[in-house]
Amino acid sequence: MKLELDHLTKKFGDFTAVNHINLTMKNGVYGLLGVNGAGKTTLMRMLCTLLKPTSGTIRCDGRDIFKMDSEYRRLLGYLPQEFGFYPQFSVQDYLLYIAALKGIPPAAAKERVKELLFKVGLSKAAHKKMKKLSGGMKRRAGIAQAMLNNPKILILDEPTAGLDPNERIRFRNLISELSEQRLVLLSTHIVSDIEYIANEIWLMKDGELMHKGSADEIINSMPETVWECFVEKNMVSDFIKKYRISNMKTEPDGIILRIISQERPFTNAKCVKASLEDVFLYYFGEKAGDENAAI
Amino acid sequence: MLRFELKKIFSKFKNRIAVLVLLVTLILTSILTINKVEYIDDNGNSSTGISAAKNLRTAQNKWAGDLTEDVLQKVLEKNKKIKNSKEALSDDLLEQDKAFAKIQDITGILDVINCAFSEYRDYDGFAADHVSGRDVKNIYKKRISALKEYLDSGKETFTDEQKKFLIRQYKNLETPFHYEYIDGWSALLQNISTFILILALIIGFLVSGIFSDEFQTKADSIFFSAKLGRSKGILSKMWAGFLITTVFYVVFVFLYTLTVLFVLGTDGANCPIQLDMWRSVYNISFLQAYLFIAAGGYIGTLFASILAMLVSAITRSTPTAVIVPFIVLCALPFLSRIITLPGVCSFFPDQLLEIYIDIKESGLVELGGKVMTTAAVIIPVYAVICLILQPVLYRIYQKAETR
Repeated sequence: MKLELDHLTKKFGDFTAVNHINLTMKNGVYGLLGVNGAGKTTLMRMLCTLLKPTSGTIRCDGRDIFKMDSEYRRLLGYLPQEFGFYPQFSVQDYLLYIAALKGIPPAAAKERVKELLFKVGLSKAAHKKMKKLSGGMKRRAGIAQAMLNNPKILILDEPTAGLDPNERIRFRNLISELSEQRLVLLSTHIVSDIEYIANEIWLMKDGELMHKGSADEIINSMPETVWECFVEKNMVSDFIKKYRISNMKTEPDGIILRIISQERPFTNAKCVKASLEDVFLYYFGEKAGDENAAI
Repeated sequence: MLRFELKKIFSKFKNRIAVLVLLVTLILTSILTINKVEYIDDNGNSSTGISAAKNLRTAQNKWAGDLTEDVLQKVLEKNKKIKNSKEALSDDLLEQDKAFAKIQDITGILDVINCAFSEYRDYDGFAADHVSGRDVKNIYKKRISALKEYLDSGKETFTDEQKKFLIRQYKNLETPFHYEYIDGWSALLQNISTFILILALIIGFLVSGIFSDEFQTKADSIFFSAKLGRSKGILSKMWAGFLITTVFYVVFVFLYTLTVLFVLGTDGANCPIQLDMWRSVYNISFLQAYLFIAAGGYIGTLFASILAMLVSAITRSTPTAVIVPFIVLCALPFLSRIITLPGVCSFFPDQLLEIYIDIKESGLVELGGKVMTTAAVIIPVYAVICLILQPVLYRIYQKAETR
């Protein structure tokens, strides 16, 4: 299974949401990292045939996915950022309906739904109405619907948004478990979601792909160094003005700052190994800090 | 898939309320229709309901048979006798009612005579009181001669072809009329258009969310990214809309008809509608008129539903789609009153729900030199439009993009 994006561009009027993206994906987990508005969702929607590109092509094993039509969608599982459902449906009915939409015969669908409900831990909630599910349960129902057709291509748009830390870890493990033998594209603005499970990470900003590679390659691509130093509380505001601060930890007699800078910011500052979060802050700047408060 | 589409519709609270409203409307309209038939007993007391209809039916069916000259003369004689009785001439309303009770059996036939001897486009409820036995013999000829006089009067705007058509239709009507108690059918036909209008609006309400709700609930992404989302998924939505429209229409119209005719009686189904609609150009029976009205109503309801679904698919807004049947079926008739567009207004879709008026008043159209009644044209025309709109609806939804 190979997906190729060739000069993929999407414009909404004068606004370019995705700008000439060239990529090739094979089996494995791909993490799409970027702040809100970077173009991640637009890119994913094009990959799901929900939006047509303004220019460029998406090919699946050499064939245009829009020409493949349902043949392509047969391979696809998608969990959108805003997971909409039918509130009055029970979880089981909802999944059976989506199974029907995916062309799964009723008898096979029943078995598959049962299997997936067990896998995502919703067996006991099978007859519960969708609207009565917690945020985490809804997301799990969402991943179950995406997996119904055992897709070769699984696209998950911000799958952990709004989940509490426990649910996020659980969800991350579930995605990792489901990623065998398929192509998984996972978009997020939460670094920890993909840091450990993505084989390749793409950094996206303003509709363009800034960097791509493994977590280590991305970290190594940062031209600046990460420093850690202990400073007095009254000095913090000066450091914030002068440097990028990726973390602050308050201690009884001062603050430990994590600073991204080419030069040593303070005499007692020691050089530490950069993390993906540091890189994220470096590339996406203040905006990333705001958006990434949940990290 | 169809099962789930239907489930989506009926799991919504507002749609359940709409069905409840429909049931209440059915009951209320049935009661109002049934109460149209009144019976006055010998003491002058009026009643409605099953027994009233039964009594009236028994009384009027004594005169069942062909309305020959002999029968018409007997009716006139009886009418004159009762009208000159002490009760009828009394100032006491109760006494007058007692007199009326004695001519209830012939009121249906008297109505025919009244129509025949009134001015062509008027109705004189006492015309029969002044008709002689000799004049009443020519009642069927008078129908044709009155039409000719009217057509020659210059008060109308018919073309020569239309005039010929009208006269031909009048001449083709089989006489003498077969008479039976017809009040059940008459009441049914008079009220069915209103019931169908309410039915069409509620059906429009039910189907208006079929396409837009995917967007409103944000379920569109999963729907369209599924293998059959842009093919069978859409077809199942269209089927759901068609099924709801058809099943609700058939079931509710049937229930209404059954209730009314069960109480008021089915007698008179094969009598000519001219017994009730003297000037009608349609040479059909009450049963045929009913089927014609029901067919027009169905096409009108189907058209409004499809239009609502189309707007639902285009605008992605259920509230906007809900308004469509209302505009098509209720606002257009008002527009036709404000703006005088006689030719165009006859083709507005609301006319499909007004076939009763068309049967009664006989609107005509001329196409390629051939004269036809308006109803005979608009029913097939809108049926074809409904068919044409199906692929349009399919394509619009199929091409939908979700941002």
